Amino acid sequence: MSKTIFEKSQAEQHAYSLPRDASEFQQFVPEKTFLRQAPLNLPEVSEIDLTRHFCGLAKKNMGIDTNFYPLGSCTMKLNPRVNELCASLPGFTHTHPLAQEESIQGNLQIIHELIEILCRVCGMTAGSLLPNAGAQGEFVGMRMIAEYHRKQNDSLRDEVLIPDNAHGTNAATAAMCGFKTVTIRSDANGDLDLGHLKSLASNRTAALMLTNPNTLGIFSQAITEVAAIVHQAGGLLYYDGANLNPMLNVVRPGDMGFDVMHINLHKTFSTPHGGGGPGSGPVLCNAKLKEFLPLPRVEKKGDKYHIIWKDAASIGMIASFHGNFAIYLRAYLYAKLHGHYGLRRIAEQSVLNANYLKAHLKSLFSSPFPQFCMHEFVLQADNYLDKGIKALDIAKRLLDYGIHAPTIYFPLIIKECMLIEPTESESKATLDHFVEVMRIIVAEIQANPDLVRTAPHTMPVTRLDEVLAAKKPILKQ
Amino acid sequence: MDFISNQEPQNREMLRKIGIEDVQELFQAIPKNLRLQRPSHDDGISEYEGVQLMESLAAKNAFTHFDNYLGGGSYEHHVPALVAAICGKSEFLTAYTPYQPEASQGMLQIIFEFQSAICALTGLDASNASLYDGASACAEAVLMALRYQRERNKIIIMRSLHPHYRAVVEQYLASHAVELVEVPFLSDGRIDQKALMSALDEKTAAVIVSYPNFLGVIDDIKEVSSQAKKCGAFTIVSANPLAYGLYASAKELGADIAVGDCQPLGLPMQYGGPYAGYLACRQELIRQMPGRIVGETRDTQGRRGFVLTLQAREQHIRREKATSNICTNQALAALASLIAMLWYGKQGIPKLALTNYQRAAYLKFQLQKIPGITSLGDSTCFNEFAMRFSRPIPEVQSFFREQGIEPGLDLERFYPDLKNCLLIAVTETKSKDQLDKYIQAAKQL
Amino acid sequence: MKFTETHEWIKEQNGIGTVGVTQYAQHELGDIVYVELPEVGKDIKSGDVAAVLESTKAAADVYAPISGTIVEVNKALLEASELVNKSPEGEGWIFKIRLSKPQELNSLLDLDAYQAKHS
Repeated sequence: MSKTIFEKSQAEQHAYSLPRDASEFQQFVPEKTFLRQAPLNLPEVSEIDLTRHFCGLAKKNMGIDTNFYPLGSCTMKLNPRVNELCASLPGFTHTHPLAQEESIQGNLQIIHELIEILCRVCGMTAGSLLPNAGAQGEFVGMRMIAEYHRKQNDSLRDEVLIPDNAHGTNAATAAMCGFKTVTIRSDANGDLDLGHLKSLASNRTAALMLTNPNTLGIFSQAITEVAAIVHQAGGLLYYDGANLNPMLNVVRPGDMGFDVMHINLHKTFSTPHGGGGPGSGPVLCNAKLKEFLPLPRVEKKGDKYHIIWKDAASIGMIASFHGNFAIYLRAYLYAKLHGHYGLRRIAEQSVLNANYLKAHLKSLFSSPFPQFCMHEFVLQADNYLDKGIKALDIAKRLLDYGIHAPTIYFPLIIKECMLIEPTESESKATLDHFVEVMRIIVAEIQANPDLVRTAPHTMPVTRLDEVLAAKKPILKQ
Repeated sequence: MDFISNQEPQNREMLRKIGIEDVQELFQAIPKNLRLQRPSHDDGISEYEGVQLMESLAAKNAFTHFDNYLGGGSYEHHVPALVAAICGKSEFLTAYTPYQPEASQGMLQIIFEFQSAICALTGLDASNASLYDGASACAEAVLMALRYQRERNKIIIMRSLHPHYRAVVEQYLASHAVELVEVPFLSDGRIDQKALMSALDEKTAAVIVSYPNFLGVIDDIKEVSSQAKKCGAFTIVSANPLAYGLYASAKELGADIAVGDCQPLGLPMQYGGPYAGYLACRQELIRQMPGRIVGETRDTQGRRGFVLTLQAREQHIRREKATSNICTNQALAALASLIAMLWYGKQGIPKLALTNYQRAAYLKFQLQKIPGITSLGDSTCFNEFAMRFSRPIPEVQSFFREQGIEPGLDLERFYPDLKNCLLIAVTETKSKDQLDKYIQAAKQL
Repeated sequence: MKFTETHEWIKEQNGIGTVGVTQYAQHELGDIVYVELPEVGKDIKSGDVAAVLESTKAAADVYAPISGTIVEVNKALLEASELVNKSPEGEGWIFKIRLSKPQELNSLLDLDAYQAKHS
């Protein structure tokens, strides 16, 4: 059975070394009353054993480098190694966040230029790289919207409109900012129900939070009308940038009528997912909301960059320092390597790859939306329920074939949903292989459904008891 | 350049399968007036030119040429080589969130071990998988206390809490009807315990203190928590995790929630991020912990495995009633921190903490002997302390910089009443020779 | 026994109502891993959230069918949350409430009406 590192402890063994001591340091001993009395229960492990432990754990994990990840809404594209190389340059890693301006002009230039690039791609005027993740970017955007209405003496506006197929963070963020969520229905085509929107937009509407294309991979053609309805009611439009990949230099959220948005750099701009983070969720906005952007900000005067730490109109600080610098540093390089030309190619290829997969797979599953998709599409596995097979089972069986499952059960409104996004990275051979594997699994469902229902069989563990984990939580050694 | 695999031959076949002539047909749903033209000119660059570009930008950062004594929430420590080696492994670097646990036992076990390590340091019962940074961890702890103590709406905050952390707490509380009361510090940098006692009452949900505080001082937190307990308020301690290697654990201090930033352990300063916030608490509060949490369980064959648990409270399920909107934890940064915690280990962490303390104490002791330079008081510190000079700090900084030393932070920028005060951080990276060079420069001021 | 649209049931006797969730509700939620019980002594209005049932995949609010004061909670659920699944309309009861407005019972659904909506 697998051991944790705590269980590999051997008395007196260790890996560390410390810089040379000096006798002059020895006379300094802290006051006894403050000292720690309780034992420190960390393990005692040598460097070779530590190394083997983590290398062993790596063998029990999938990554983009090792497996295809058609995870809808996550944009699992290649994380280029040149990004890693440059992000680890000592000239960057060795800079302190409170260093004086003159000594970190390189960092400030990167911040300023990246914001400019992102604004141009998205049709926005200004932005901030401070939010440490998409959810934090949303929080900042919604705080800015709240401040905007407060400044207009319009604090009656306490409602945020959110489509029923939206990501959970949207509603949670709105609540965090003191707003009530009002849900808008989707129509039969998977698009926003305009009639329902019209009936809900009022003088209580602070904002509409939307992603376009939506979480079903469908582009809302009436977006300009949607924007007009909300603006006319006095509300603002927030764009959830999770699905920006197919839009890069094809269409700009600013042009669509959005006032503020966030981008997920760990999705669209290839920064590594790292097993769950760190991410980066820059916020961009138009002139209406510019003054509310958080602090600190970077300004350019002549050819020198300056940091602004104070501004009365700003919503204030949202992070310890400058956000996830080493993460957006990677996004900066990624953007420069591609240029605007390359970003457009990303958008086109991501949509082409997705539609190719859809053309193949729609015969195996229910495809609720027949029109061309954008970068991702929804399939339903509900036609296998009579064999006792759900989307979850198919997802687990895919693991046995070395493919990470697609996103399942999201959006919540589609039964036995699988959301598939190949990204522009993948080659045709990989896509064909995925189709082939899905065909095999469907054949297995017909011939031997139990095999699929109890999958996976070749992973380090079989299905895990999540009820036990939640009922009797064991959260540490 | 780009990283797209498919070229002409493959795209032709794919277009044929879809039944169209040109990829542009797939964008028909987008209104013509919104659609941009394809860029005509390739403005991308090669990998070589990309590396050249980044190296030239890094070279514009003169900071790296100075002996660095800046602290204030970000510290220069040795990052063990093993950290980059493990964090750079494909299966960790490029993995997604472990929502399919069978394919993610590596990362899940790592988070479980991280949670265990944080509990070992803080002495508390449970920890989450990490938060964005120390500031947001503080804010999340406050929200947690408010959620649990439903009828109470007052939070007591020390003036000596990191000003940026304070600003973020205020940000998170912007739409809550909460009374935020500040307790001042005394002239020697310690908390005004009397003022705290008069501020504490039945409406107080929690008190937040830092350890050490922003001025580098170690406060008597046992006293704070015992006073807080008397009126049923929680004690939230925001600490440099390395301090727990030398000083009393959060549990010994009587804390209910321990938060802070893991940066000093395993993460370079990297201009402020990514870092990793930590949050640990007593058993009673575990269902109120925000963010991701990993738990141990069994598979169908009875083998031990790890899963994300207590997810029902999280954003993707509870939506508007979630404990927080958090989606990511700082997984890879938490891994870096875990490796450093293990590399130092049971023996190394106390030794590392002690040498940090001693080097800082040595510098403070020597500086105090110089006419015109005084400490704020004789309070116990960790690896950071404030000194008052007889000249404005910008002058002091200019002088030191000419000698290749970045001497510390001007405290007046954070506290206008602390004039001519410099905040100096000393870690194990400063040899005796370097410290003596600092002392020589100070003598010449 | 009376029912709500939101799958709670209430059995009233001598001014005290016992409240739980229906068979349908426990089936939809899946294995219950945790129950957040209300505070004894708390005053509550009809439609307020009284308790929360947590499964691994969802957290569902349990609404008070009528107004009143909480007089007792089923502490057994803290150690054995699975009782809600095993016996939702018996041993898996969640709380007892002293009715302040007994007339509210008249606007609730009877068995036939509830089943007609949720079969």
